[in-house]
Amino acid sequence: MGRQDDRKSVTRREVLKLAGTAAAFCTSFGFLHGSQTGGVVQDKHFGEYKHLQARWQQAEIKWYKGSELLHSSPFPATVMKQLQSDETAVVELKLFRAGQLFKNLGTLEAKH
Amino acid sequence: MAGPHEILGMSRVLGISTADFLARYTDNSGTTLRSEGDGRCAFLATSGCQVHPRRPLVCRLYPLGRTTNERGEERFAVFPAQPDCEAEAGRDGTVEIFLESQGIAPYLVWSRSYGELYRRMIGLLDRLDIQGQINAPGADAPAETARAGSESPGLEQEPGRVPLSSWQDIDTSLAEYCAAKGLAVPAEIDEAIALHLRAIKEWLDDLAARLGSVWDDPEGVQGE
Repeated sequence: MGRQDDRKSVTRREVLKLAGTAAAFCTSFGFLHGSQTGGVVQDKHFGEYKHLQARWQQAEIKWYKGSELLHSSPFPATVMKQLQSDETAVVELKLFRAGQLFKNLGTLEAKH
Repeated sequence: MAGPHEILGMSRVLGISTADFLARYTDNSGTTLRSEGDGRCAFLATSGCQVHPRRPLVCRLYPLGRTTNERGEERFAVFPAQPDCEAEAGRDGTVEIFLESQGIAPYLVWSRSYGELYRRMIGLLDRLDIQGQINAPGADAPAETARAGSESPGLEQEPGRVPLSSWQDIDTSLAEYCAAKGLAVPAEIDEAIALHLRAIKEWLDDLAARLGSVWDDPEGVQGE
């Protein structure tokens, strides 16, 4: 009795559904093991990524005062040349205060 | 990010089924809302948000973000102002007042409830010791998930638009659950979400009971 019947009681499809549902909820809600994040992914500050890989064709750095654009600067030609040769370039964003590293906002590994 | 309860709410505002919503307005297997090519939200029109009455938690929270740690302790933080955002945000008042003004309470309750179910799923998977060993159904496949999107001919096979799980499609999963239980499908969104949570809990209860015989016998998991 029992044992053979028990073995038939769970199918791989059910286990796949369990895994698929867990994966879907993990992403949909930002759940990690035991922790939860809401409202972060879309608006996440770049610094929280620490290392972000991305592919883009144009890049610029903008400085704002509130919502007022103070200055906009494209990436230097040497960097863009590197990217256009289908190589990657890593951008580091670091803040300094009194000559000392104050905060490392992370890196962006980019490809054209 | 978009939970199944949020997809249900937005689909009701738009007057379409959750299956249609998943097929038309989500990416990453029904887990994130689709953006336009320039990154703009697909629901942002010149007149404003097209799903505002049922906008998801992430939108209600902004400019706040919420995290909970493994002990369930909740924290809120303020994001840096987005230069393109026309919303006015000040620092007067409290987080509590802001959350109340945005109608967030039920969304937090639902999020916590789905979180409890998620932790149960992880617990089951942990005991099965299969995490990372099963290729969960993805964009290209699954019989189990292929139903979602079936109301949108031509969209259902596009990569990333087939949900990972049929539970993401509340309309379809509740219709099946209610038919099996002899219940009327709830018309109200809040009632539908409550029943959706109950249906998943019962599914996990049943699965846990049947998996009980497998814990000490991994071979007990059988293919169909």
